[in-house]
Amino acid sequence: MSYIIETFNLTKKYPQIKSYHEIIVHPFQKREITALDGINIRVKRGEVFGLLGPNGAGKTTLIKTLCTLLLPNEGTALVNGFDIVKEEQEVKRSIGYVVNDERSFYWRLTGKQNLEFFAILNNLSPNRAKRRIEEVLRLVGLETNGDKRVKDYSTGMKQKLAIARGMLSDPEVLFLDEPTRSLDPMIASSLREFIRRSIVEEGGKTVFLSTHNLAEAEDLCDRLTIINRGKIKACGTLEEMKALLDKRKRYLIELEKPAQGFIEGLKGVFPFDVREALPGGGIAIEVTVDERWKVSQVIEAIVRHGGKVVACSLMGRTLEEIFSRVTSHRDSGEGVEGERG
Amino acid sequence: MLYHLRKPLAFVVRDFGDAASYKLSFLMQFAGIFFSILTFFFLSRLFRGVVVPYLQPYGGDYFSFVLIGIAFSGYIGVAQHSIAGTISSAQEMGTLEALMVTQTGIPTILFSSSLSSFVWTTIRVLVYLILGVAVFGLDMGGANIPAAVLILMLSITSLGGFGIISASFIMAFKKGDPLGWVFSGLSGFLGGVIYPIEVFPGWLQKCSYLLPITHSLKGMRLALLQGYSTEALLPYILALMLFTAIMLPLSLFLFQKAVKRAKMDGSLTQY
Repeated sequence: MSYIIETFNLTKKYPQIKSYHEIIVHPFQKREITALDGINIRVKRGEVFGLLGPNGAGKTTLIKTLCTLLLPNEGTALVNGFDIVKEEQEVKRSIGYVVNDERSFYWRLTGKQNLEFFAILNNLSPNRAKRRIEEVLRLVGLETNGDKRVKDYSTGMKQKLAIARGMLSDPEVLFLDEPTRSLDPMIASSLREFIRRSIVEEGGKTVFLSTHNLAEAEDLCDRLTIINRGKIKACGTLEEMKALLDKRKRYLIELEKPAQGFIEGLKGVFPFDVREALPGGGIAIEVTVDERWKVSQVIEAIVRHGGKVVACSLMGRTLEEIFSRVTSHRDSGEGVEGERG
Repeated sequence: MLYHLRKPLAFVVRDFGDAASYKLSFLMQFAGIFFSILTFFFLSRLFRGVVVPYLQPYGGDYFSFVLIGIAFSGYIGVAQHSIAGTISSAQEMGTLEALMVTQTGIPTILFSSSLSSFVWTTIRVLVYLILGVAVFGLDMGGANIPAAVLILMLSITSLGGFGIISASFIMAFKKGDPLGWVFSGLSGFLGGVIYPIEVFPGWLQKCSYLLPITHSLKGMRLALLQGYSTEALLPYILALMLFTAIMLPLSLFLFQKAVKRAKMDGSLTQY
């Protein structure tokens, strides 16, 4: 298996600013906050890998560390086979970083002038730079706006220009830090389509993106990692994560109109929730089964109490449920990991 | 050769494109130069017809003396503040991260970022000299231009070392640059910008030789106003070479350390 990104116990701690009192009383005591705590992930070539987490989870820290903008305290990572600490220049040659800050451009210059400047800094020859700038502007749909000053761009256009800048050197892997954060839903959707179709499927690039938008992660990513408080909480495809979490499966069982006292009688046998009333007086109940109560035993019990089962279906978990579950165990360290990375 | 200059030139084109887009400010700077010369022209009338012994080594004319001092002292400010200023402005604007993730090394980014300030200062110096000669009667008939250019180059490299150390402070501590504060203050006071260092007592004169600006201004005045030969200017040239040889590698080393520290504590783009 060819991995384009591999991290090995990547740990990042930030020093905390001490108060004057602490400086005087404990001058040599260090105060640190752990932003990344022994991160191990693997990203395959040509996939969209999503980093999902709430604000302050460590997403941006991980991306910046992989882009050589931060140095890890412990562990390391390989990007395109190059060590982020020892082979910084080689890593930079392999990556494009879409900076999540619309101020990262020179607003008084045109979009094209900005790209020309960054193309030179990325060692593109004049001819290649000219050709590549036209290509990337066309790729992001800004070919008619290249000569406008950046100050006259909309937020969406600036985000597209940032992607164009990230793609200038035709990198193997593109890092995007919350690329649709400040975009309206329509533009966000078209940007997601663009990332999937133009960058990954047509361009064959690997995309590593962070987001806290669950729908975006579900829609766009081949595989996901959920990170919270600097720790990986879950990793794998959405299906893998669901399977790993669903050791306790939930079933939706539809019943014909039950007799008087049926529900109360059944409540004493196994736990369930009445979900909805069905046409014709029937009901649907949600049952969580585990080693103690298998689904066959549940159905047997229903039938024994005089109930008639019309349908029984396994309920899938949404990403929102998975996210909520793995991030709610804030301090327990509980996580769900599939295949490493 | 031209290929290697592409990156520095790209910074210059970027900065001039940006500066020229603020048209009023761009034009006002030239007006500022004219009024600055005018002030010193009338100030020099105070000394007209008076023989000032301290000015004799430089030709005796205060206007010529102070014009060179004011014109070239701009380099002190640029060397001291432009690199640090570029770094902190890129941090504030949000462009530093985008720059640091490119395939260009930190020394090139540093050098190139401040280049346009040096180019701009050189244009200002030329305007000062042209106005001085054409309007106010500055006499540079016998000037040793090649030696003056050499001294200028060495002044930039030696003063740049101090500027990079200032930038290291900004990178590491964000605000507060004790070295820059001390260096700028001492250079203005001891460097001989608006009065010759010969007015100082002996021990203070010796102190002034610890600053590159003293050698730079003295050499520049002797080259431009007195037309000294390159051999005669050798003590100043060698002193500036020594400052460059010590300060440039030291400052680059310190800046690399400051960047490493900023990458460790996550403050690379904070200000």
